[in-house]
Amino acid sequence: MNSHAAGTSNGGSGDAAAGGAARRNTRMPKYSKFTQQELPACKPILTPKWVVSVFFIVGVIFVPIGVVSLLAARDVVEIIDRYDEACVPSNMTENKLAYIQNETISKECIRNLTVTKDMKQPIFVYYELDNFYQNHRRYVKSRNDAQLRDASKANQTSACEPEKTTANGQPIVPCGLIAWSLFNDTYNFTRGNENLTVDKKDISWKSDREHKFGKDVYPSNFQNGALKGGATLNPKIPLSEQEDLIVWMRTAALPTFRKLYGRIYFDLKENDTITVRLNNNYNTYSFGGKKRLVLSTATWLGGKNDFLGFAYLIVGGLCIFLAFAFTLLYFVKPSTSIGAPSINFGGLEPDNQLFCFTTLLTLVLHTAILLIVDFSVLAKASVYHYFSLTPYTSGNANPICGFGRKLGDHNYLSWNRHPAGR
Amino acid sequence: MEAVTRLVKIRTSKTTLAIGDGANDVGMLQEADIGVGISGAEGMQAVMASDFAIAQFRFLERLLLVHGHWCYRRIAAMICYFFFKNITFGFTLFWFEAHAMFSAQPAYNDWFISFYSVAFTSLPVIALGVFDKDVSSRVCLEVPSLHQDGVNNVFFSWSRILSWMLNGMCCSIIIYFGSLNAILVQAVRQDGRVAGFDILGVTMYSCVVWTVNCQLALYISYFTWIQHFVIWGSILIWYTFLVIYGLFSPAISATAYHVFVEACAPSPLYWLSTLMIVVTALIPFFVYKISRTLYYPQYHDQVQRANSKNW
Repeated sequence: MNSHAAGTSNGGSGDAAAGGAARRNTRMPKYSKFTQQELPACKPILTPKWVVSVFFIVGVIFVPIGVVSLLAARDVVEIIDRYDEACVPSNMTENKLAYIQNETISKECIRNLTVTKDMKQPIFVYYELDNFYQNHRRYVKSRNDAQLRDASKANQTSACEPEKTTANGQPIVPCGLIAWSLFNDTYNFTRGNENLTVDKKDISWKSDREHKFGKDVYPSNFQNGALKGGATLNPKIPLSEQEDLIVWMRTAALPTFRKLYGRIYFDLKENDTITVRLNNNYNTYSFGGKKRLVLSTATWLGGKNDFLGFAYLIVGGLCIFLAFAFTLLYFVKPSTSIGAPSINFGGLEPDNQLFCFTTLLTLVLHTAILLIVDFSVLAKASVYHYFSLTPYTSGNANPICGFGRKLGDHNYLSWNRHPAGR
Repeated sequence: MEAVTRLVKIRTSKTTLAIGDGANDVGMLQEADIGVGISGAEGMQAVMASDFAIAQFRFLERLLLVHGHWCYRRIAAMICYFFFKNITFGFTLFWFEAHAMFSAQPAYNDWFISFYSVAFTSLPVIALGVFDKDVSSRVCLEVPSLHQDGVNNVFFSWSRILSWMLNGMCCSIIIYFGSLNAILVQAVRQDGRVAGFDILGVTMYSCVVWTVNCQLALYISYFTWIQHFVIWGSILIWYTFLVIYGLFSPAISATAYHVFVEACAPSPLYWLSTLMIVVTALIPFFVYKISRTLYYPQYHDQVQRANSKNW
C-alpha cells in the first residue's frame, strides 16, 4: 500500500544509485520519537502489590519519625503563666482600662513560677499575646522599610499613617503603627537570692539586624504624641541594636503569637521557684487580649509542640492500617479488573455512583465541620473585639498604652477613606 | 450539504463531524462542529475551511480513535487539574484571611503569588495537556469502544469536575491547618526563634507547590523524561527562586529577604512538616484512585490494565 502522499510524482526512482545528498521524495514529516510521541516512557499501573508496598513504606518511615518528634517535643519543658488578669489590683478588676491607662498606679507585679522539670540552659523567655492581629493588612502596611534602613531617608513616611509625623510636621522615626505599638512589659527573674539575668542580645534574626535596620538610624520624635501605643525608644541607640523593636516588627502570622524576649543562661532544677518581677505596662484590656509569660527550653526540633509527632504517628499508623486492609481485601475480594475488559458503555455503574457519593459526602462533611469550627472561632473573636471597644475621650491627657481603640475606631480610621490614603 | 449537517446538528443535538476534500464541501465543513479537510487531488480549499486537515481519508480512523481519545482525556484532565491547583492555592489564602480579620492581607509575599501560575505550576500542566497517554495508539485502534468515553462525557462530567475541586479544597485545608499547627506558636529551631508571618508563608507555599506537583505525578500515566523534568524541575525552580529572590535587597524582597537560607532551611521542623503535610494531602486522592482502578474500574481502566504489558 502506498503510504506516500502526492509528492512522489517527482520521480522516486534510481536516485539511490546516483549518490549525493539523500533526497527525500515524500512529504512525510521526518520521524522523531518526540513528535510521534514514542519517547521511552514508564507507564505505572496500580497493582495491589504496589499499593500495599507504598502504604507500608510510608507507614514504616513515618512512625519512627513520629516517635522521634514526639519524644523531642516531650523533652521540652515549658512554663506558661498568664498574668494580665492576675496583675490587676483587686480594687480595679471592674475597670481594668482605667487601671492600665492611669500613670500613677504602679504596674509592678510579682509572680511566682514553679519549675516542673529540670530545665537546661539556655532557657528562652517569650511573651505571648492573644487576640492581637499583627497580621491585619492595615497594620502590616503601616511601616516604612526605607526609613528604617537608611538615615538619609528619614523623611520617607508614606504608608505610615497615622503615625507618620508629629503635629509640627517632623517625621517620626521609626514611623508606623507597628513600631508605635511596641510591647513594653519587662520581666526580671530571681531564684531565691540569685538574680537570673536575661540576655537580650541576639534575639532578633541576623538578616534583620544587619540589613533591614540601619546602624546609623536613630529614633526621633517617637511616642511623642498624645497617644502612647507602647514602649519608648532610647534615641541614642541605633535601630540595629534595638532588638526588642526588631523582634516586634517582624510581624506575627496569627492573632496568637509569641516573641522572644531573651535568654537565661542558668540551669533550673525541678521544684525551683522563680520569682518574676514584671511591669504590666502593655494595654491589652481594651481589646480583650491576653498576655502570657513563657519560659521554655528548645530541642533540635524547636519548642513544645506535639502536633507534628502525633500527625506523623497518625498518618503512619493509617498507612500501615491501609496496607493491611488492602492486603486482606486482595485475598478476600481480588480486584475485578485484571483480565478481559467487559463492555461497559454509559456512565457510572450503580455501585460506582454510591462510592463516589459516599466519598464526596465524607469530604464535604469534613470540610463543613472545619469551616464551622474555624468561623465560630473567628466570629467570637470579632464580636468580642467589636463590642469591647470603650468610648475614648480625647480629653484624657497622656494615657499610657491607650492603644486598643485605634485599630477598630472608625472615626480614627477615617483617614482610610481620604483620597490620599490607601 | 450544509443544510443536512445543520439539520442533523439541531435535531439530534449531537456533535457532528464532516469530512470532505473539495471546494463544494467547504460549506458543510464550516457548518459541522468538527470539519476534517483532506488535502490532495482537489486542492486546498477544504483544508483551509477545516478544523483538522489530513492527507488521506483513511487517516480519519487514527484521528478519531487515537488522537481523539488522547486529546479528550488530556484536555479534560488539564482543565480539572487547573481548577484543582488554583483552588488548592487560593483557598489557603482564604483560610488565612479567616485568621487575619478578613483584612485582605495576603498570606504570601506578592511575588510568590505572581509567579505561582507562571513559573511553579505551569509547565507540568502543559506536560499533562500535551503528552499524557493512557493507552498506546495500537490499543486505541484495536479497542474502538474507548471512543465512547468521549461520547458519554466520562472525563468531563460534573461529578469529576466537582470532585477535583473538592480535592483542591481538602488539600488546602490540610496544608493550611497542618502548617499552622506544626509551625506556630512555639520555637521552630534550636536557637529558640519563633516563626512569623514570613516563615509561615514560605512553609505553606512550599507545601502547596509540592502537593500540586506530586498530585500531578500521581495522576498521569505516562512518564517520559519530559514529565520528570517539568514536575521535579518546577519544585526545584520554586526553591531556586526563593533563594535568589531572598538575595535581592530588602527594598525588593521585603518579607522574603534571606528567609529560606537563614530561617527555613536550617530548621528540621520546616522539612519534616512539609513532608508530613504533602503526604497527608495526597492520601485521599491516592485512596480514591486505588479504590477506583482496582475495585470499581471503569471501562477505560480495565482496557488500560489489560494492555499495560503489551504497549
